[in-house]
Amino acid sequence: MSLLDMDERILKIVELADLRSSPITDLKEPDESGVDVGVLEGGINNSANEEVARKMRSRAKILVALGDCAVFGGVPAMRNFCGVEAALQRAYVDAESNEPGSEIPNDPELATMTKTRAIHEVVPVDYNVPGCPPDADVIFYVLSELAQGRKPELKNNLLHWD
Amino acid sequence: MVQITINGKQIETPEGTTVLRAAESAGIYIPRLCDHKELIPYGGCRLCIVEVNGWRVPMASCTLPVSNGMVVNTETEAIKKSREFILSMLFSERNHFCPFCQVSGGDCELQNAAYREEMTSWPIQPGWSNFTVDTSHPYFILDNNRCILCRRCVRACGELVGNFTLSVAERGAASLIVADTDVPLGESTCIKCGTCVQVCPTGALIDRVSVYQGHDKDLTEIKSVCVGCSVGCSMNILVRDNRIVRIEGDWEGKVNSGLLCEHGRYDPLTEARQRITTPQIRKNGKLEPVTWEEALRTVSDKLSPLAGDKNGVAAIASTRLTVEALSMFKELFSDRFNSNMVTSIEEGVPTAAATRFAEKNGAFEGKLDILRTADTVLCIGANINRSHMVAGFLFKRNMPKGTHLITIDPDISELDDMANIALKTKAGSDLALIKGLQAIIVKEGLGRVSLILPNADALIEQAVQTSGISHEELVQTAQMLAHSISPVILFGKGITAQRNESLIEELHRLAVLVGAVDNERFGLLSMKGEANSLAATLLGLDETFKLNGHQAVYIALGDDYVSKSLVERTSKAPYLVVQACYESKLTEQADVILPVTIWSEQEGHYINLDGRTQQAQKALPPHEGVYDNTTVFSEIAARANMTLKAEWQKAILERKSSVSLN
Repeated sequence: MSLLDMDERILKIVELADLRSSPITDLKEPDESGVDVGVLEGGINNSANEEVARKMRSRAKILVALGDCAVFGGVPAMRNFCGVEAALQRAYVDAESNEPGSEIPNDPELATMTKTRAIHEVVPVDYNVPGCPPDADVIFYVLSELAQGRKPELKNNLLHWD
Repeated sequence: MVQITINGKQIETPEGTTVLRAAESAGIYIPRLCDHKELIPYGGCRLCIVEVNGWRVPMASCTLPVSNGMVVNTETEAIKKSREFILSMLFSERNHFCPFCQVSGGDCELQNAAYREEMTSWPIQPGWSNFTVDTSHPYFILDNNRCILCRRCVRACGELVGNFTLSVAERGAASLIVADTDVPLGESTCIKCGTCVQVCPTGALIDRVSVYQGHDKDLTEIKSVCVGCSVGCSMNILVRDNRIVRIEGDWEGKVNSGLLCEHGRYDPLTEARQRITTPQIRKNGKLEPVTWEEALRTVSDKLSPLAGDKNGVAAIASTRLTVEALSMFKELFSDRFNSNMVTSIEEGVPTAAATRFAEKNGAFEGKLDILRTADTVLCIGANINRSHMVAGFLFKRNMPKGTHLITIDPDISELDDMANIALKTKAGSDLALIKGLQAIIVKEGLGRVSLILPNADALIEQAVQTSGISHEELVQTAQMLAHSISPVILFGKGITAQRNESLIEELHRLAVLVGAVDNERFGLLSMKGEANSLAATLLGLDETFKLNGHQAVYIALGDDYVSKSLVERTSKAPYLVVQACYESKLTEQADVILPVTIWSEQEGHYINLDGRTQQAQKALPPHEGVYDNTTVFSEIAARANMTLKAEWQKAILERKSSVSLN
């Protein structure tokens, strides 16, 4: 969503770059032949997230972690204090809003929940862009620098973790 | 002086300076976290490391003294890398969630340090272990998850405040800031001064009242002076949208060097009394709101005819008023109305005896600063831990270094637990006790000056008999005082309330005898009472309040509290005008209520207990519909065809002060 905070500047990015895939485009995964820049948001919470991250890493020359969850783990990482089991138990069984007899989903198709990790804990990250959320200015700066073949340097007003 | 080079810049600095301070003096900033200019260098966080030519490893500049020819570099690639590593370690040690921490975004020294190094992530992730959060305290929260173990709070609690409540439990990364023997903060020996919160570099100690009310950059800082008591601490009032968000001690403050007590820091924020915002007049037995014009006309119609009548208007003012207001009050009722009963709410209890002694003998009291270097403090009739807390900080903090404390008080004093000797005397035995102490010192030949007391044994015996203190304890007390190099004697209401000048005289004699007072040193201080206690006595507002056929009573209460005794003594007043900010038992029985500004809505001067004239600034615009105290006095004077000169600087010099004014 924060990507859209860039407003009309997003068109500038589209002019400079060719958007290959995203969760809202037909193509959900980066091209097998590889892309220049991959942007990942969110932390690594389960086996599916991990798979996405590895795929993105293997296909992108430059990997950007966008937002506090991607960079630090963020608020979801607070479940690391109690562990996966306790978190699932609380969410699916013990929570007051659950029907009696509720169970933790155990369909083998489901991804396995893991400890919450920052992306850099799973795959090497080239640029961490913190912020909760990162400002439109920050996102625009990072994408526009990368699209123009420069290394984005986050400092002063562009660097904030909150 | 020592010559050193930092980042290629030649710096001349006094010997003993640390590299960090030397750099600072030359405008070179070295990142630091555990360092605080009011605290003893500690070298705990290691962030201030620098490279010193010829030295094998980086050194912590906060604890490294300069030496001649030293060449220091603070921004080499190696140092920058190490700094980033140190910060990574600090972040990984605890659980920092910046997005919802109230100090994030400018007020967190840890985050600012990381931004300075342009860190976009933490190379080392935290271990996700839970640390304790203590929410038991009424004013602040201790969240060990955000603590970097810099120990500023622990050091401030001991080194500055002398309370020694905070300490560190466990060791290494498991270390925790705890109160006392790991009891909840709210149940600990904490005196709620909030200094730990003021020095905390992260969000580990947060203020419950001001939390999430805005970042420092959103707040306007108004330098003012606390009106909580006669110590007169300098403080910064932090205001946003005409609301006081927080109050902090002013590190530049001459009296308090940044310290405040619970009353200064939190009382104004937790004020619960009901404000009065319109003048009221009793009509048919009921108080009804009226316009200022009507209220002032009514007061004037009643008071003006009483001008010149000694038993006309009895007037009493709070010593929390500014000296401007107090002097106009005195001029109006004493000089113009010629009333024979013009005094203050304190009625001179904490001041009159000392002022009378000074009128005969000149200024005899010393300055608060002397407490900072005292090696023995005798507190007699002064429970300063309750009434003048910050003055206590100045010597309590030196007690682990050997400063002794003696308390003499018939009542339990909060200082007793800390005292080396706590004498619980019988009430009214002070004079005999002081004379007894003198006699012991003279008899044992310990006096600094010669004093002939032919009946020493009888005096000692009388002291034992009257005070109920054993001979042995008296001797110990006398010896402790006499053997100290820089003793200070503090006396409070317990002494002055007896209104006995000879008590002050004997106390002074004792002070001279033990060397507390000589030609250069003035180690005898009275604590006085409220903010303008000294000013009130200098203006002569220190008599006992008695109604003797007076036809009206005027009480300029301001934002002060009301004593039961005052309410009782004025309940029979034929006509009662109360000039006040808040509803109270007193306003309930008033015939006219004139609403006025509170301390933060007015400016003016206060003369603290050691004679320092300080200016309080207006932090907030006045509440709609209230007048400044001085305006009310001018209006009443004008309506009685009187003009007030309002020359407080001259007025306070009419009487000799017990302490020199500056």
